[in-house]
Amino acid sequence: MRATINQKLTEMGERERLKELLRAKLTECGWRDQLKAYCKDVIKEKGLEHVTVEDLVVEITAKGRVLVPDSLKKELLQRIRAFLAQHAT
Amino acid sequence: MKMEEVSMSSLDNSKLEGVAQDILSDLVEDACLGVCFEVHRAVKQGYFFLDDTDQDSMREFEIVDQPGLDVFGQVYNQWKNKECVCPNCSRSIAASRFAPHLEKCLGMGRNSSRIANRRIVTGGNNTNNKSESDQEDNDDVNDNDWSYGAEKKAKKRKSDKNPNSPRRSKSFKHKSGMLGPRRRTDNQDGPHMLMNDEGFSQ
Repeated sequence: MRATINQKLTEMGERERLKELLRAKLTECGWRDQLKAYCKDVIKEKGLEHVTVEDLVVEITAKGRVLVPDSLKKELLQRIRAFLAQHAT
Repeated sequence: MKMEEVSMSSLDNSKLEGVAQDILSDLVEDACLGVCFEVHRAVKQGYFFLDDTDQDSMREFEIVDQPGLDVFGQVYNQWKNKECVCPNCSRSIAASRFAPHLEKCLGMGRNSSRIANRRIVTGGNNTNNKSESDQEDNDDVNDNDWSYGAEKKAKKRKSDKNPNSPRRSKSFKHKSGMLGPRRRTDNQDGPHMLMNDEGFSQ
């Protein structure tokens, strides 16, 4: 069931729309800047020359998830639920 | 039957909720990865720390957020009420009127040349060549260009009468049609002045 839902999400363009919406809202609320500042700390710690993608990914995604404001999460969940209600059954 | 249906739907709901949460999680992770790749590229290409300077400079140029000041820390209405002394006539002028005053006073700027032109025209016609002493206050002179002669002659007499308060010449506000009382004593009408030689010498 999950596969079909995901497929529908992508096919109907809803996934892209949600992505864009999320990105815009995250930038608006300062999440991006916060995360970038955190990146600076991580990089200064690890050393500019030795930073790898893996390092960044591990640290950043963990922090990024935490930093997303609750209101934004709720908003997106509502949209997703609405989509599911319409197309999932 | 009903009980099963209820439990079935609640199961569905919790499943759906789980799916929704997963989707959200995917989206957030996408956004995070986007930032990661951007940052990593910036680091490797060397432009990540480009906009940073040393701490002292950062503090020096920080945005100012105080009442009465703009973001640069300047007082923005500092010269509203100040007065400036004109270097030409040594009068004390209000700051907002200073630039137009200088224009007239120094004889530069568009309007000043118009006044000068007019005076040249009537300067050869009138033996009484008393030019206006207060150049800069004659804003009314500059309002209408088409009827040189009538205005000038009438204006001359007015200014002879009132050299220090030319703004009282209200007749010049109705230049297009109505002629002031003064002009009726002349033998000329406003628009037709242009036909006469004396009104329009080239």
